[in-house]
Amino acid sequence: MVGGIPLVARFGGALLLVLVLVFMLVPLAVVVGSSVSASEFLVFPPRGVSLRWYEAVLSSDKYLSAGWTSIQLALVVTVASLAVGTPAAIALYRFRFPGSEALGSLFLSPLVLPTLIFGIGMLMLFSRYGSGPSFFALVLGHLVITLPYVVRTVGAVLHGADRHAEEAARTMGANLWQRYWFVVLPQCREGMAAGAFFAFNISFDDAVVALFLRAPGIDTLPLRIYSELEFSPDPSIAAASTVMIFITVAMIFVIERILGVRRLAGSGR
Amino acid sequence: MAGVTLEGLVKRFGVAAAVDDVTLEIPDSKFAAILGPSGCGKTTLLRLIAGLERPTAGTVRIGHEDVTRLPPERRQLGMLFQSYALLPHMTVAENLRFPLRMQKAGSLAEQRERVAWAVDLVRLGGMEERLPRQLSGGQQQRVALARAVISRPRVLLLDEPLSNLDAQLRKDMQVELIELQRQLKLTTVFVTHDQDEALSLADMVVLMREGRIEQIGSPREIYGRPRTPFAAEFLGAANLFDVEVGHVGGRWTAVLGPEATVPVEPPADGQVGQRRLALRQEDLILSRDPAGFDVALPARVATVVYQGALSRYVVEAAGRRFSVLAGKEANVDEGDELQLCWRTGDAIVL
Repeated sequence: MVGGIPLVARFGGALLLVLVLVFMLVPLAVVVGSSVSASEFLVFPPRGVSLRWYEAVLSSDKYLSAGWTSIQLALVVTVASLAVGTPAAIALYRFRFPGSEALGSLFLSPLVLPTLIFGIGMLMLFSRYGSGPSFFALVLGHLVITLPYVVRTVGAVLHGADRHAEEAARTMGANLWQRYWFVVLPQCREGMAAGAFFAFNISFDDAVVALFLRAPGIDTLPLRIYSELEFSPDPSIAAASTVMIFITVAMIFVIERILGVRRLAGSGR
Repeated sequence: MAGVTLEGLVKRFGVAAAVDDVTLEIPDSKFAAILGPSGCGKTTLLRLIAGLERPTAGTVRIGHEDVTRLPPERRQLGMLFQSYALLPHMTVAENLRFPLRMQKAGSLAEQRERVAWAVDLVRLGGMEERLPRQLSGGQQQRVALARAVISRPRVLLLDEPLSNLDAQLRKDMQVELIELQRQLKLTTVFVTHDQDEALSLADMVVLMREGRIEQIGSPREIYGRPRTPFAAEFLGAANLFDVEVGHVGGRWTAVLGPEATVPVEPPADGQVGQRRLALRQEDLILSRDPAGFDVALPARVATVVYQGALSRYVVEAAGRRFSVLAGKEANVDEGDELQLCWRTGDAIVL
């Protein structure tokens, strides 16, 4: 199969692969490694082995409440962006209407605009016209940055789906609602799962938008870790980060279970 | 079951008319083929019957009911799409039950019974729990066909259903389609660009060109008696020549070239002058002994193309090039000088 590929290219390819793996996995290994350190300080390689920092994190009200806030926030954002993004994708990719191209670009714009600018803009907007930063503001802010992913992933599966399936359902007697329920939505499912995965992770991970839009009493996990890092950098940060990684991995399985998807991060087809 | 009647049907997309004033009656339980090159409006015509397009003008009737304003979901038709349009997330059995569910046809037990009947009809026993992607192209097609007829539609519409299949499967499916149609006595409208398919399947062929009907007739009529050069050419008359038709002393003749005036049958409209003469390549005979033929022209064989059971001969006669189809018995080689013969009845003046 690779008989025609010169040795140099094969060697170069292998080297690249190793480098990619190193850059992707070594930071994770460092975090997980230093989280089990017995030392008082955040160091790598760890000195001694201990789970005390996990105990510290899991018995800390600050971490627990921040983690709980983050999970709630990510779940609400995921549901909301599916609820808004799926119909938007159906409208954009199923029907060609005047301005649909422009609207499509608008939906994708948060992907290219700096999140920092976005956060500042949102903060000014909420302070001027709303009640200032709040959980609700945070949901809206995250919704804006997660929507493009849902629109994109759902759009991709719709793009590859058989358009005649809907017409066939029509000739078989399915009315408008039945066609959406039995034909279009099931076609969207894989895209929705991939979109949900992105939405959850982006919201769960975000520190930038949250920095501007959280109310004084609200703390998300990334912000908690950030401020701990700033004021008292001990291995509890690494432990909290490891917990975060586990929550993310667990989320993949949950979404896979609910929406039944095999190619989560793929383009859908 | 019911026939289909179209009256003055027009469908315009912008200024271009895809279907331009089509009037057509397909009798109850007949198998009609709508035949034409791509872009002739045949698929649009089918979609108009299905209700998937709204006509710009004209009416569509199914049986005695005017369905022009009725949406497709209430027309009680079965349609088979070129892409099969199976629902990918449903099993074979669920796909088959879908129309019954949508139309709330009978109890669950009755629906299951009907699904079993449909599975039997297309011989897919044992495949009920498979997903469409686990089936071969031919099997998918049979599921789609069974799904199109499961709810006892008034009319079955087929949109180039065989074009995605390979040659052998295609022949098998043709037989299956004919048998199914006869068994269920379903009025069937079949869209195709393949004249062989149209001729072998249909009771009635509707030849379309640029949104209009060019000719309607039985396969025999449309093949044997094309009325226009387009019909002759589309149905495989490889030899079409411009000729001067004359009528002298009770005899009709066509001038093919100097020294080549041949007798012809009186044209349908009785007009003389510049006409076209159509000759099918299988009606032409290469012979060294022209006795028994109405026409015999001295000819030279230019090229022989071997095609298995038959060979195609390109022959020069009367300053024209003829295409002739013949078997081994012709015993002819390139460069041979012989006679090109035919019977007057086989030459059609258009």
